[in-house]
Amino acid sequence: MADLTAQLREQVQQAKSEQIPLQIIGANSKSHLGRSVIAMPINTAEHTGIISYSPTELVIRARSGTKISDLNLALAEHDQRLPFDPPQYQMQGTIGGTVATNQSGPARPWFGAVKDSLLGLGLINGYAQEMNFGGQVMKNVAGFDITRLQCGAMGALGLITEVSIKVLPMFKASLTLVFEIDQAAALEIMPAWSNQNLPITGICHWQGMQYVRLQGGQSGVDEAASGLLKQLPGALLDATLAKEFWRQVREQELLQPHGSQVLWRWTGAADASAEALPGAQLINWAGAERWVLAEDRPADNMALVQYQGGDRQAEVNPAMDTHNRALQIRLKHAFDPHGLFNVGRSYAWL
Amino acid sequence: MGQPTPNFVDLISALQAMLPVASLLVDDENQRPFECDGLAVYQQLPLVTVIPETLLQVQEILRLCCLHKVPLVPRGAGTGLCAGAMPHAHGVLLVMTKFDKILHINERTAEATVQPGVRNLALSEASEPYGLYYAPDPSSQIACTIGGNVAENSGGVHCLKYGLTVNNLLQVSMVTIEGELVTFGGDGLDAAGMDLLSLVAGSEGLLGVVVEIKVKLLPRAPRVQVLMAAYSNVTAAGDAVAALIGQGIIPAGLEMMDHLAIKAAEDFVKVGYPIDAQALLICELDGTDAEVEEQLQTVSQCFTDYGAYQIRVAKDDQEAAALWQGRKAAFPAVGRISPDYYCMDGTIPRGQVAHVLTRISELSQHYGLAVANVFHAGDGNLHPLILFDASIDGQLAQAEALGGDILTLCVDVGGTITGEHGVGLEKMPQMPYQFSDAELAQFRRLKAAFDPYELLNPGKGIPTLKYCQEYRSLHNG
Repeated sequence: MADLTAQLREQVQQAKSEQIPLQIIGANSKSHLGRSVIAMPINTAEHTGIISYSPTELVIRARSGTKISDLNLALAEHDQRLPFDPPQYQMQGTIGGTVATNQSGPARPWFGAVKDSLLGLGLINGYAQEMNFGGQVMKNVAGFDITRLQCGAMGALGLITEVSIKVLPMFKASLTLVFEIDQAAALEIMPAWSNQNLPITGICHWQGMQYVRLQGGQSGVDEAASGLLKQLPGALLDATLAKEFWRQVREQELLQPHGSQVLWRWTGAADASAEALPGAQLINWAGAERWVLAEDRPADNMALVQYQGGDRQAEVNPAMDTHNRALQIRLKHAFDPHGLFNVGRSYAWL
Repeated sequence: MGQPTPNFVDLISALQAMLPVASLLVDDENQRPFECDGLAVYQQLPLVTVIPETLLQVQEILRLCCLHKVPLVPRGAGTGLCAGAMPHAHGVLLVMTKFDKILHINERTAEATVQPGVRNLALSEASEPYGLYYAPDPSSQIACTIGGNVAENSGGVHCLKYGLTVNNLLQVSMVTIEGELVTFGGDGLDAAGMDLLSLVAGSEGLLGVVVEIKVKLLPRAPRVQVLMAAYSNVTAAGDAVAALIGQGIIPAGLEMMDHLAIKAAEDFVKVGYPIDAQALLICELDGTDAEVEEQLQTVSQCFTDYGAYQIRVAKDDQEAAALWQGRKAAFPAVGRISPDYYCMDGTIPRGQVAHVLTRISELSQHYGLAVANVFHAGDGNLHPLILFDASIDGQLAQAEALGGDILTLCVDVGGTITGEHGVGLEKMPQMPYQFSDAELAQFRRLKAAFDPYELLNPGKGIPTLKYCQEYRSLHNG
């Protein structure tokens, strides 16, 4: 537990005066994401610790190097959780990296992404200025939403020093149902179930089975389970197996690229057909997120992310139109005029 | 009408050439209805008002403003409460109310694509046949537009559980000051790169003009249960709110009113509020029968444990509507007991509610102006209503000063000067209090990335460097 803000700011100041590009590294658990860049490391791994946590306010504030697993432990003591349930990456993943790479777990369609729980953050910009945006309250519309702008920015706008997150009560009950149906049938059912008043926190299709996780109050979960089993023949999955399955989905462990394989990720309309993306796939987020392993780009006409593996010098994110691209470049310049932070990490031109 | 500049003369001829006569208002009489938004103490006639009907017209209007360097202020229904849509004396007012079509409701994926001029409530009504609704529900939902909701990142009584506008947005198309159409977000839940979709939410028309919006719809809950709890002191009610949330219950809505607001509302709509109560909590639970029943027991117990002397559980929809009606009518109710009122919008940590209310009461005595408090207790968003009489010399200034003190108080206890109404023109004086010079400079650079000539809604939202310097010399000197 140490507050290294002053030291980090100093390092940015030095990089600025010497014009040395930086590579922001936390626990280095997500080095496989984005493009590979080589620059002087600036490390937040030791910049850790929960700054404040008030269970009745449903808010936790922590330094960016704090591990997700440590946050989860602190929250569990008060029966609370991170609503976006991000991957922990072998217990190494940090909250700063989670925000920068926009990581959310299986409950994303119902409980939102990181941005939906992010209330505020501290940031060191390319002028080596320490700034705070947002806050620790639930609603705040003073000034532009620079807090949420960081989600998915891959560190391009500055170094995140600390974050405030809205947390939620732990679920009292949890169960998982499994249904033996094929991909096409699952995709028919997913949007319909997803948009009913059911306590669903995960719908996934993997290797011929559809997994539906229900979480909430005991009576609500039981009522929903019996209702779904009446609609479609299925079974209750053993609690230990269920926990392990959803852990693997969350940790992105079900599909792992080997050799020259690439893990491709697609997010799009939940009702897009199964043929949209060829091959055996993991369908998550009730159809809105799909993963497939393939050596070559599996579909030309889809906005796919080359998530893991393959050539990391090439562009790995979907192409961006001219206007979006111009705005992202101008924003980068507004925060980081000297091009210090993670240059080229999300796009070669950014 | 202000003094036309040479640029403006060229602009107006170009506008006349491209727009139908009815879409262009130049005389004072026709522009008068647009001189202010919901915060009527700030008024200004624009040089010209345009009411376009097509996307191409909007693009051309922005292109012309950019070419001639003429300021432009976008406006929806004008229900905003921070003078964010007040016209610019030397600029164009762009009224987007003709863009009022719901373009598509996707029943399967529970999504709707709308034009910005669609009224908030109209979207929920159109979604009703599919068993769906649009969750953000600001008090002005009968009149306010979705475009305006995006600009202000509007909340409402249900945002405790279902989030603000930003949490329900999927895609936004916007015209830049250069007249280019740009789209943020998409069919998927997460697009690559910086989150410009979230940035547009709450940007108060400073970054571009929103022309199309895709939002998430929610399934209507099978059961909605409303209950009311009366307290003989405000602190106990505040503690009950913190305890309830601490116990893991997130109601769909959790509202609080103080004695003055309760009395004004009851006198106005007569829904059976206990007028002797010092504080009233109105709580809405939603979900399936089983879920609601389970929560209702916990909530009632918690309210009782924290000293509620009366709990009323609505027996039917009619009674639930009545309990809500008093809360929803609180603003006009206060309007009946005072010639004018000024609505504030600070947010504070929930645990500070009792302290802040005590302090507001002291400030109220100091300024000699009564304050009624109505607020979204669940998320700590206060709406103190300052009662005053604008016809009495100096009272408006006193009300503004009291309001300013309340907002800085919110910042002092770890909160913010605006939870959902926006900064607009109104809260510019408090921006340098909440933000450092470096932070404000970052906001200005961000704006310049979208609007290099400072033409979009200038003078609102983000104070200039000069403004900040003057503020600091005044307050530190």
